[in-house]
Amino acid sequence: MLANLQNHCCGIAPPDLLARLAIEGDIHQREAAVRALATSAAIRSQRAVLGHLDRQLNLNIGKMIGFSVTPDRRLTVYDNQKKGRPFLPGVRMRGWGEPPAEDQAVNQAYDGSSATYEFYRDVLQRNSLDGSGMELVSSVHYGVAFDNAFWDGAQMVYGDGSGRIFQIGGLTRAVDVIAHELTHGVTEQTAGLVYSKQSGALNESFSDVFGSLVKQYSLKQTAAEADWLIGAGILVPQLGAALRSMSKPGTAYTGDRQPGHMDDYVDLPDNNDPRNDNGGVHINSGIPNHAFYLAATALGGSAWEKAGKIWYTTLTKHLHPNTQFSEAALATVAVAGELFSSTAQTAVRNAWLEVGVLS
Amino acid sequence: MKLTVRRGGGIAGIVARTELDANVLPPPDAAVFTAEINRARMRELPDPPATSGRPDAQLYEISLEETGLLFSRHYTDDSLPEDVRTLLAWVDGRPERIESIEQ
Repeated sequence: MLANLQNHCCGIAPPDLLARLAIEGDIHQREAAVRALATSAAIRSQRAVLGHLDRQLNLNIGKMIGFSVTPDRRLTVYDNQKKGRPFLPGVRMRGWGEPPAEDQAVNQAYDGSSATYEFYRDVLQRNSLDGSGMELVSSVHYGVAFDNAFWDGAQMVYGDGSGRIFQIGGLTRAVDVIAHELTHGVTEQTAGLVYSKQSGALNESFSDVFGSLVKQYSLKQTAAEADWLIGAGILVPQLGAALRSMSKPGTAYTGDRQPGHMDDYVDLPDNNDPRNDNGGVHINSGIPNHAFYLAATALGGSAWEKAGKIWYTTLTKHLHPNTQFSEAALATVAVAGELFSSTAQTAVRNAWLEVGVLS
Repeated sequence: MKLTVRRGGGIAGIVARTELDANVLPPPDAAVFTAEINRARMRELPDPPATSGRPDAQLYEISLEETGLLFSRHYTDDSLPEDVRTLLAWVDGRPERIESIEQ
């Protein structure tokens, strides 16, 4: 089909097909599709669509079509209107500095993204996900009764929840969930941890760590005061209190299989079977999650001041796509010594010893 | 003929199962169900190349059981064909479906 389109690209092709062509076609097809997208009056939020492609494909679209697609704003929230992937990002609802919209999900996505942006800027001196002011794009009301929120490599996407796993409206309610997803963007831009088995569990864990820290920073809580839960109050009550517990892995909801120690590591294949969770990325993340909790509470005070900075420096400067647990652990120990003291180093080492990653 | 849909991955990693058996549907609706399955062409089309690796992407396993045969297809939200998505929406709208969470 792509080949057939090459000679006809792309005046009458629908936007979703153009977007696919822009992703999957050869360089000529991609250029043609992007030019067609740029001139199509049928596309709503045109600049946002182009910005999305620009980010996802790392194309210099602005140069190709003669205008900047880097908007002068930090974040923008769109309404997908339940139409799913072909309609991403959707209808623009609220941009940076604009007053609240009437839609609660829009405002929650805006506030959560803003809190995450400010945390990274003020605590970690990072200018957005890429360190260069990348716009934070969010789409709410994705799909129909969609029970998920995810980072798609270019933007945040939030479903409404079905009332079966997530409470309806729950997915935009928790700032730690929003920060979790946005941190996937930071990881993608830095360590690039492969989303499979141990490196994937580390990818998940860093998102939980900074998700929890954004929440703690927003609430001005110390490590001792924090609940260390991810996504508290967004699951349907009959399932449980939260998605994950960093202090007590395996206790967040009915059926929570997270281990808190390497003795209980769950070795699953990464074979596209939903039951195997990309090789247990949401299961075994309990181990590094618990190590962070132990380190943060041992170091005391606000978790973002020491433990958070150690984990951030490790993520952004010392890891690679296939990093495994033990390598990540050793890196945090080394960074603790570089940034702070031998006492901090001991606290971090003890945390990893306690969860069985180091011996 | 029975269709079983497993949705997993996502931010939670929780697996939700939806089942619908054509035998419990009124005959006209069972015919629509069969037509939707045929339109989805899951028998003919192989699993799409794994395009996952996206953090928190939703993963799908769709199994079809008919006359003693069982086969399954795997998708991500990225790779889910539009006709299969339509089929899932039809199944999700049926009151006869059975839903459960896999522990």
